[in-house]
Amino acid sequence: MAISYWRRRDRYYRLLGNRCTQCNSEYYPPAYLCRRCGSESLVDVEMPTTGQILTYTILREVMSGFEGQQPIVIGIVQLDNGVKVLGQIVDTPLDALKIGCRVRLVFRKIRDESNVGQIYYGYKFTALC
Amino acid sequence: MGSNPAMKTPKDAAIAGYGVYIPRYRLPSEEVARIWRGGEEAPLIKKAVAALDEDITTMAVEAARRALKMAEVKELGAIFVGTETKPYAVKPTSTIVAQALAQHKVLASDLEFACKAGTEALQLILALIGSGMIESGLAIGVDTAQGRPGDDLEFTAASAAAAYILSKRDGDSIAVVEGASSYVSDTTDFWRRAGQPYPRHLSRFTGEPAYFHHIQSAVKNLFAEFGYKPSDFKYAVFHQPNPRFPVEVALRLGFNLEQIKPGLLNPYVGNPYAANSLLGLAAVLDEAHVNDLILLCSFGSGAGSDALSIRVLDGVEVKRRKAQNKVMDMLKAAVDIDYATYAKLRGKIVG
Ligand SMILES: [Zn+2]
Repeated sequence: MAISYWRRRDRYYRLLGNRCTQCNSEYYPPAYLCRRCGSESLVDVEMPTTGQILTYTILREVMSGFEGQQPIVIGIVQLDNGVKVLGQIVDTPLDALKIGCRVRLVFRKIRDESNVGQIYYGYKFTALC
Repeated sequence: MGSNPAMKTPKDAAIAGYGVYIPRYRLPSEEVARIWRGGEEAPLIKKAVAALDEDITTMAVEAARRALKMAEVKELGAIFVGTETKPYAVKPTSTIVAQALAQHKVLASDLEFACKAGTEALQLILALIGSGMIESGLAIGVDTAQGRPGDDLEFTAASAAAAYILSKRDGDSIAVVEGASSYVSDTTDFWRRAGQPYPRHLSRFTGEPAYFHHIQSAVKNLFAEFGYKPSDFKYAVFHQPNPRFPVEVALRLGFNLEQIKPGLLNPYVGNPYAANSLLGLAAVLDEAHVNDLILLCSFGSGAGSDALSIRVLDGVEVKRRKAQNKVMDMLKAAVDIDYATYAKLRGKIVG
């Protein structure tokens, strides 16, 4: 596993962000200091597993490592705690996708390093609409 | 053949939660027949097909998260993943599941015994709890079974996961394993050599010396040891590689169709190998009442069966209400696909 991915695996596997102990603001990806009150006292916290689609786009040409997956839907999801995260939206027919759709977090393969390399896992979303 | 004494299962270990994951897509068997058999009649089965970005690891995590939520257990002492479709030949899946669940102080291992690896995982977790080595553990049966295109297996080889959290028995426990009996022999009806993508099978072996002999032996031993008779059981769940075998073995052993129907999912899911009988058990636990007795019997090629008698406990109704993750709901969410979509999802064609 690439070192940067390995370091962040809890972010990708569990949507692990953090929360300010002073004002309860939550962050994903985790913040080093609270952008609201400036506190440096933050604790790890898993983000909520549901939210709604704020916006999305459809990729019909894909980067290497994602071959065979097109069309890929990438969306910005507002989680139920208000935090916005970027993620792939899967298992949803394109004609059913709508801004405002409720989504649920799922654990999926993000990409494969061909047949011989490593497999990268992480979060995606599936639409409930 | 000598006697095969049943296992003394711990009475202070119990099922605390369970969760299943069935992928959304279904391939009707007529589609396989349309492509490979000139459209001749096919058995009435729809098999569950995982998406392109799903494998046993992702499905195991999904099922495990649901089981954990239902069990309300905070710490696990062991995680065993029973499967024959590991994405890595070397490197465990159980450790990836552990990381995704934030459980690190665990004994983690992958088990392989064709379709029987899930019940094995469950028995091992029971033993670890019973011996006092751990307080709680996670047993998963999961597969993304594949058949060679056009092969008989392609009609049924399916994808799904079933996860069970076992824990020290308390007032919230869902069910306890009263007795267990396992039976194995070297009978090769089905195998896959290392490095090969698709399994092979000897059709003439599959029924009598393999499936029927092992299941009947394990169940008869269990009955002899504990004095059970078929009418003691409200439900019976047998490994179901097709819709026909579980019905036949049930009738041979003296069970009726009412007892097996609630756990008979093959027509709606196909055969998800190590998840197969554990999925049937979950469907039964979804509707069972306190004190019902359930027979569970797996079968794995190579070959062997684990027969378990499971008594439903007081916690079942409250836990079920909280979990809201019924097998029936996952079956209702299914979407039919054609053979071309199936080929894309299972990586048989790459764009
Ligand atoms: Zn703050």
